[in-house]
Amino acid sequence: MSRKIVKSRYFGDEGLIETVSEVPAEKHKAWGPDAELKVVGKPVSRLDGYEKVTGKAVFTFDVDLPRMTYARILRSAVPHAKIKNIDTSEAEDLPGVLKVLTYKNCPKIPWHWNTTVLFDERVRYQGDEVACVAAESEAVAEEALRLIRVDYEVLPFVTDPAEAMKSSSAKVHDWGNIIDEGPAVYFRGDVEKGFGESDLTFEDTYSTQVVVHNPTEPHCSVASWEGDKLTVWDSTQALFGVRDAIAKSLSMPSSKVRVIKKYMGGGFGGKLEAGKYSVIAALISKEIGRPVRITMDRKEMNLSVGNRPDSVQRLKAGAKKDGTLLALSQYSYGNVGAYPNGADCGTPLRSLYKCPNVRTEEYSVLTNLGRSRAYRAPGHVQGTFAFESLIDDLAYKLGMDPLELRKKNFTEVDPISGRPYTSKRILEAYEQGSKAIGWLEKRKPTGSEQGRFRRGIGMASQIWWGGGGPPAYCTIKLNQDGSAHVLAGTQDLGTGTYTFLAQIASEVLEIPIDKIEVTIGDTETCPYCGLSGGSLTAPSVSPAARDAAEQMKSKLLSAGAALLETPESNLKYSSGRISRLDEPDKALSISEVIGKLHEKVLVTTGAREANPEGYEINSFGAQFAEVEVDTETGRVRVLKIVAAHDIGRVLNYKTLLNQFHGGIIQGASYALLEERVVDEYTGKVLTTNIHDYKLPTVKDTPEIELIIVSDSDPLISNTGVKGIGEPAIIPTAGAIANAVYNALGVRIKSLPITPDKVLMALSEKI
Amino acid sequence: MKNFNYIQPKALKEASDILKKKPGEAVLYAGGTDVLGLMKSGILTPEEVVNLKSVPDLKYIRHTQGKGLQIGALTEISEITESTLISEKYAILKQAAREVASPQLRNMATLGGNLCQRPRCWYFREDFNCLRKGGDMCYAFEGQNKYHCVTGGGPCFIVHPSDMAVALLALDARLTIYGGKKFKTVPLKDFFVLPEDDYRRENILKPGEIVTEILIPELPEGTKSGFVKFKERGVWDFAVVSVGAVIRKDGDKVSHGKLSFGGVAPIPWMEEELNKKLQDLALNEESFTQLAQGILKKAEVLSKNAYKIPLLRNITKRILLELTA
Amino acid sequence: MSKDSKNGGISRRKFLQGMGSGIIGTYVLTPAVSSATEKLTKNAEKLRLTMPLTMKVNGKQVHIQVEPRTTLAEVLREQLGLTGTKVVCNNGECGGCTVLMDQKAVYSCHILALDCSGKEITTIEGLMKADKLNPVQEAFIEHDGLQCGFCTPGQIMAAEALLLKNSRPTRDEVLEGMSGNICRCAAYPNIIESVLSAADKLRNESSSMK
Repeated sequence: MSRKIVKSRYFGDEGLIETVSEVPAEKHKAWGPDAELKVVGKPVSRLDGYEKVTGKAVFTFDVDLPRMTYARILRSAVPHAKIKNIDTSEAEDLPGVLKVLTYKNCPKIPWHWNTTVLFDERVRYQGDEVACVAAESEAVAEEALRLIRVDYEVLPFVTDPAEAMKSSSAKVHDWGNIIDEGPAVYFRGDVEKGFGESDLTFEDTYSTQVVVHNPTEPHCSVASWEGDKLTVWDSTQALFGVRDAIAKSLSMPSSKVRVIKKYMGGGFGGKLEAGKYSVIAALISKEIGRPVRITMDRKEMNLSVGNRPDSVQRLKAGAKKDGTLLALSQYSYGNVGAYPNGADCGTPLRSLYKCPNVRTEEYSVLTNLGRSRAYRAPGHVQGTFAFESLIDDLAYKLGMDPLELRKKNFTEVDPISGRPYTSKRILEAYEQGSKAIGWLEKRKPTGSEQGRFRRGIGMASQIWWGGGGPPAYCTIKLNQDGSAHVLAGTQDLGTGTYTFLAQIASEVLEIPIDKIEVTIGDTETCPYCGLSGGSLTAPSVSPAARDAAEQMKSKLLSAGAALLETPESNLKYSSGRISRLDEPDKALSISEVIGKLHEKVLVTTGAREANPEGYEINSFGAQFAEVEVDTETGRVRVLKIVAAHDIGRVLNYKTLLNQFHGGIIQGASYALLEERVVDEYTGKVLTTNIHDYKLPTVKDTPEIELIIVSDSDPLISNTGVKGIGEPAIIPTAGAIANAVYNALGVRIKSLPITPDKVLMALSEKI
Repeated sequence: MKNFNYIQPKALKEASDILKKKPGEAVLYAGGTDVLGLMKSGILTPEEVVNLKSVPDLKYIRHTQGKGLQIGALTEISEITESTLISEKYAILKQAAREVASPQLRNMATLGGNLCQRPRCWYFREDFNCLRKGGDMCYAFEGQNKYHCVTGGGPCFIVHPSDMAVALLALDARLTIYGGKKFKTVPLKDFFVLPEDDYRRENILKPGEIVTEILIPELPEGTKSGFVKFKERGVWDFAVVSVGAVIRKDGDKVSHGKLSFGGVAPIPWMEEELNKKLQDLALNEESFTQLAQGILKKAEVLSKNAYKIPLLRNITKRILLELTA
Repeated sequence: MSKDSKNGGISRRKFLQGMGSGIIGTYVLTPAVSSATEKLTKNAEKLRLTMPLTMKVNGKQVHIQVEPRTTLAEVLREQLGLTGTKVVCNNGECGGCTVLMDQKAVYSCHILALDCSGKEITTIEGLMKADKLNPVQEAFIEHDGLQCGFCTPGQIMAAEALLLKNSRPTRDEVLEGMSGNICRCAAYPNIIESVLSAADKLRNESSSMK
């Protein structure tokens, strides 16, 4: 159980982190490609399936406490204003209203890196927090909101990032509209020289829209105090992050705050940060001495809790006649909304292919709209669409097969750091994916299709981090009756965390899955794990679970050695029994061992080991799309997506396939359907419900074939797992856009590729 | 949603009287799928909600030889999709009904309500004090108007959202309206109101008037009909554009034809001249293409909706080819 | 007639100038709402007006008092404690709140509770027979027809309604029957498989009973 502190690097919530972490002193032999596993990797049904199909699963949204009260937030009706006055007297007089909080009576708790406070006197977007009402019922709270009179001094506003970048623009914050007051610049080599030496250069501008997470369970919290101790149920992807943010906001020790989240109705990155609402609920709950439930309605979900920033990307590529890339450049900007965040999307261009000369210049621009947040593969989804469109265009100009162009520029080392990858199987993904879609036989020359319905095939590649890393801990409690309890302070977003934790314990300890209970989502009872985002959860937590289980097995074996009076090397562990190799009749069950130790529960805590030094850990993949475009209506139908990915070891094929389906369908609707629409003259959002904001339905589902080209990556960790939540969505839009180009011979350069754009592009072509 | 009195009238007269007595304060409520949305967003804040469903005998589908089809106003859309009376003779109605919203909403929404629903314009539904809500301008005119009308607009530029109305228009349907004392029958084409006549309402109903029945004339033997709705999402979306067609052929010519359009105008749209041109039209792709080119000749597109015109022409040509094949 | 005169002659510029003078407003700026708020303060007691409601929920008669504005979903979740029914959009746009009313699928968030007077309501909690899962529930577990699980009760109720009406749905009929339920995790391919497999199960069950 000994540990050590070592240097490690992994991709965390703040990007690539070089850090020191506590890790196990010894590594277990990794489950390599030839490991024979009985439970891990098998299509085990979801552990939480029963509770979810019966309606018994209690989400934060369902938490109901005695004497609970209901809070709702009043939000700014205008995009930019100074609040001259708020009159809450009528609301306070309404029977059933318990508390109204505004800037007048709320402590100035800093928010968004000190750029604002909990209730700011200056509101910077339609949907900014103005007041909060707690009442005896949701309906009364809602009525009270309508009785609050806000006197706004309307200020000039800006919604278009191109406009916001001009010095003449209205200022969202007094210090300006550009994050860090300038672009994030990266370069290697000499990009101008590279373009000069190229036989062919190609340059174009691609753009993407703002899309909104819209998880089904709204952002919500329930706060309840017992003395000086606060418990918060929160629909969050980051238990400990929420705990610490609340503790800091309320100036109380983290030990006095407990955050619980058993089940959550989706997150997709939108629930990685602590929300103002959680702190507001805690404040009001303390004051009125009763539990407070606060939830967002669907309009707030579309205005105020995050989105994927848009992008305008001016890209240029230079290559030799044979397709060798010599130079790549990107100038781009994206709209982060009213408070700081990043809109960078240049990593795919910087790292997907071998290229000696690269320069990227990226602006994250503030406007008077809802703030962006991480959204499933932030930056990579918009960046991959644009960059892989550019590569496709370049192939066409070079007269090359787009797949060949990509293979030609394959890189064995990370082009940014020069380090090798722990594993990279993108060539197998190209090979198997192209075969499955019929790349050679079915794909026709671009633009050669005639007639009303035109088919096309396109592809795009993908890179993401997703190797996880320390710190992550997992505790196993083994009971005398042979049942086990696995605890980890992690989250299950619907991704299968509960299930794989049980599978790992079952695999190592050879205990049937139905005797294993898993507790996650509780900062008080579970050991620390990081947030669930960045495809980090499985690669970070699964090795810690295996470590805990292996330690438990060692413990049982050493107890068995003492009890059976033989060295451990003479013992065999099988199906929860320890027996002597020389005299197999001399054996003890787990129950007997624990009983003889006079313990009721054996406890071990495992940790995630360090990531290997000198390597990059990335996931890779390629998706191939076949589409059919109706040239009379402009409708693009995705007939099939083949997704071929290198994701290390598969923990559970059933939940894996499901998560890939979800990523691909979300990627397809990003390509074709979803878009937040803003009225630029008033700065108000027009798509605040999920009818005008178009979410994909069961009939927007293409046929999907998943090919996993990897078996395990033993260099990363003892389980050999890479994360897959994000890889699934990254290349989809690019593959579809390239398939549309192949079908029509016309490039649609802005997402979403809606019928109006296709029809207008076709009419311009004629 | 603001609280209200929930009134269960036992007869049409009772319902009509309440609505008449409290115009603007009492609202007629049937399936509620639209009215509830309007109440939740604060566009409607009635004191009294008058539940028409408590009035008996307004839910039926009947066919009388020679007279045609009668559908009670409270008939749910799902009943129309399932009625064999309708599927055998009025394909257009069944197809339109199947295109309405989602299975659940079709179980809740009524035919009368579908015809009387308010526009889906996002400026109307969101926090904009637009013309139709008593404000002083149409925000769509220079704003986000991709889904707005290309003809018949001004000073408001909505499109009428009903699929059923488009189908019924092509069928020459009539409505029975109860006015408090007696019933009257009006052709559906006279039911809807253009914004240039009154931009605060979509139809001719006065306070206290209630649509009770939809009458569809008998279709002569050999008549074919169909409805095509183009939407962006795979299912459950309002029409970007739609076409209803009723057509009969005589040899290699059209002997009777009627086309109606949705998603293009503030009311379900019909072009008389176009329908005249259908008469005696030769049954081939060339003549249909030529005819389709004449659709929406007088269109005045807004900044983002010009695509609707080729789209509508193309799907119209297709439905004509399909129905006469 | 020119476009401008059609548009009431009011330009954007004029409108925007009007905004700069400082406006008083709440979340919703429509005049309809501000007049409503006035009425409300006058009739605050009316907020509490309730009416009796009798309906059958999961086989049991329920007699309660409800405010007329209450939706069926609110009654189920808040008054009857049946939180299996979820509210996602609260506007009939997603299907998360789907329940059966007289065996037909409806959106409980978008129907007034009083409309259910005398009706028979079935929620996700009413599907199990004692401890035994309903075949649709079993199929959703077996085929992993869910991820986060929040839309799942609605999906299962929609599937149940579909299969009550049509025990042999084709794949297209399943797509149509399930088209009123949004799954943001997009577990759709597995949802389709779950429903098709549930149909098989139900048919096998009924044939073995014969």
